[in-house]
Amino acid sequence: MQLFIEQLLNGLATGSIYALVTLGLALVYGIMRILHVAHAAVYTIGAYVGLLFFDLTGSLFLAVLGSMAVCALVGVAIERFVYFPLLKYPPFVPLIASIAILLSVEELCRLIAGPQILTFNATLPFPEFHMAGVTVTSTITAVYCITAAVLLLLWFITTKTELGLAMRAASQDMAVADAMGINSHLIVSITFVIGSAIAAVAGILVGIYFNQVYPTMGAIPAYKTLALIVVGGLGSVPGAVVASLLLGMAETLLIGYANIPLPRDALAFIAMIGVLMWRSQGLLGSR
Amino acid sequence: MNRPLLEITGLSKHFGGLRAVDGVSFDIQRGEILGLLGPNGAGKTVCFNLVSGVYKPTAGQISFDGQRTDGLSPHVIAGLGIGRTFQIVKPFAHLTVIENVLAARGIAHYRNLPNIWSSWKSSAERRGALSLLERVGLSDLAERRAGLLPLGNLRRLEIARALAVGKKFLLLDESFSGLRHEEIAQLEALIRSIRADGLTVLLIEHNMRVAMGLCDRLVVLDHGRKLAEGRPAEVRANEAVIEAYLGRKGSAHAA
Amino acid sequence: MSGYLITLGTIIAINGIVACGLNVIVGFAGQISLGHAAFFGIGAYTAALLATKAGLSFWAALPLVIAVSALIGLLLGIPSLRVREDFLAITTIGINFIVEAIFNNFEFFGGALGIGGIPRVELFDLKLRGTEFLVLCLFFLVVVMVVCWWLTRCWAGLACFALREEETAAASVGISPVRFKLLAFVLGTAMAGLGGALYAHFMRFISASDFAFPLSVSLLSMVVVGGMGTLWGPILGACIIGVLPEVFRPLVDYRILFYTMLLLLMIRFQPGGLLGENSAARRVLAKMRPGGTS
Repeated sequence: MQLFIEQLLNGLATGSIYALVTLGLALVYGIMRILHVAHAAVYTIGAYVGLLFFDLTGSLFLAVLGSMAVCALVGVAIERFVYFPLLKYPPFVPLIASIAILLSVEELCRLIAGPQILTFNATLPFPEFHMAGVTVTSTITAVYCITAAVLLLLWFITTKTELGLAMRAASQDMAVADAMGINSHLIVSITFVIGSAIAAVAGILVGIYFNQVYPTMGAIPAYKTLALIVVGGLGSVPGAVVASLLLGMAETLLIGYANIPLPRDALAFIAMIGVLMWRSQGLLGSR
Repeated sequence: MNRPLLEITGLSKHFGGLRAVDGVSFDIQRGEILGLLGPNGAGKTVCFNLVSGVYKPTAGQISFDGQRTDGLSPHVIAGLGIGRTFQIVKPFAHLTVIENVLAARGIAHYRNLPNIWSSWKSSAERRGALSLLERVGLSDLAERRAGLLPLGNLRRLEIARALAVGKKFLLLDESFSGLRHEEIAQLEALIRSIRADGLTVLLIEHNMRVAMGLCDRLVVLDHGRKLAEGRPAEVRANEAVIEAYLGRKGSAHAA
Repeated sequence: MSGYLITLGTIIAINGIVACGLNVIVGFAGQISLGHAAFFGIGAYTAALLATKAGLSFWAALPLVIAVSALIGLLLGIPSLRVREDFLAITTIGINFIVEAIFNNFEFFGGALGIGGIPRVELFDLKLRGTEFLVLCLFFLVVVMVVCWWLTRCWAGLACFALREEETAAASVGISPVRFKLLAFVLGTAMAGLGGALYAHFMRFISASDFAFPLSVSLLSMVVVGGMGTLWGPILGACIIGVLPEVFRPLVDYRILFYTMLLLLMIRFQPGGLLGENSAARRVLAKMRPGGTS
């Protein structure tokens, strides 16, 4: 029983991290209909830059801020220099470009920081809990709190602010939004800023949680998050979050706890195909 | 042989709560040109899409030449000899004009598994396609890439494609929209010659002068329901129709 | 010719065959497939199993390999092609990962160790190796290209082109979208299977990681860089993508970076491919021809 609760908490933590990484992807897809595989590159950069700033300043707070700034810039650069000019081509053209960006960033990280796994020894300023005989580490508490905070903030922005209204309008119909005086391109760039900043936080969080930062840390999340936004329903941000949490728990409980002989990383895709067969628009997707 | 070519009975299409088409019934006789009119949002294009198979009806029946066609897929309905054009033109942009028509002529081969491996580059096929292009006046543009044509020519290309498919029945969706004066006259003449060849035509048209002049009969829709049906002169005088187009005050003036 | 060049040429020829198959799916019929490596792998594993466990010769096994690849393409294609375009890309990625996981995790396929000891191809008692095997691959490449060429001339191909351009209009002229998308998909996976069989007998040892997602990306890059929908595009693409890493080899540590950056630049500035319409290459060639642009 104690093991089960531990695994449940781990699964929820894993799911929360997936949610943080997938959020940016879902936001970008919602507004630009582009599969932004390079989002995983931004996440990797977030982890490395966060580690660098932490080593330089000793302050986790500054590391997070600095990393978010850098990642926001990288995200916008990708959007302006690569995706925007390719919008008029069939969707797999920006997809290939995105994959090429991911691979290039992996290589750059390897060349600059080395191929070895770096450690991220930071303690997150969150409390530790003991409940039902299980210890909830400060890291896990941090993951829950940060994810909840990010989700809350995002919810607030999209539903209560004018910016959020503009974002929702632009993602429904960009031409009409333009006609209404919304500067759609600016909205798109802001979406990338938000998504990339969240990716930075996710990267640092993962670095600390697993105590590992390495060049190819984005590879698996890149494709898993794709499956997750399909399962959640393409274009549905809440769907992506729900799918991420479910997958995190499924991976940990089914494979870690129940020892079902399925390859862990393929579970996302198996789930995706299963969901698609049952409900072709995903869990919370429309149409 | 007196049976109508197309019989629509109690046709309805609901999108959630929206009743785009609501219990519409009318017939089309062989060899006639029937105009489907109505203000914006009346349900004309939805009707078209129901007849051509793009949508499946929520209720009601469609019979073509005695055979039920509601619920059939668009490519199957095309195979029955029904050709259509689209309100927003859909050329095969990277193919040439003649290849666009050849693709439509392929309807004779597409359902037959051995046949699809035979070549379409024969001179007999080319001649057939060229004669269709001559009919619509596009034969000297045969080798031009379709995506480069201006709207007027694209509308004619759509008609050529529809003719290749529609041996019996043609659905023309706002084919006059966006055309210049001379082009309109040419297209009117073309449609009359198509009818003279024995085909039946159902067209959606916003241009009143064209609709009144070209069509044998009219069906007017409003908010998904049939408002009026009859010869142009009758329909033009129909108060409900005038009210639908001009509003209540307008009908007082028009009367 | 040195052994190194022959090996490179053989890999390029095999990749060319598989890329031609992908070109039928993506270039002719306009369907995105990011999981083509899976079918390459299915062909390779089928050939490997038939050779090592059933003792069949390459020639006897070949029809079976192509049939199995085509059949699995059909089975996976049916649900895939019904989904919306964006979903299709991700679904094919998923197929790639799942197929790779199946190869990696089941003993029947040798598990993580793969299958080894695949014999060479024999022709009239002669074991084909080196240049002879390269010639065999080129022979099959020519066969595949002839099939593609014929496809462009027949009604099936015209139907696929129309479908690629405008699916609704294609349906309105009697083209069944499902039927012809499936046709293109099955042809493409059959060609990939053929390439897989050649690969298995060339490498003589295969494992699941040979057929992972990065290969699907490479294959799609070959088709796009060369020029989607053209006849020679996939071949040109296979040559370029095959040769580039070798050209950059002197850069040692930096070569993968250069390769991916070059891919990025090519896609960013010539998305139509080098042989595509409006490509810089075509425009230069057109100016060189008497009479100016076409």
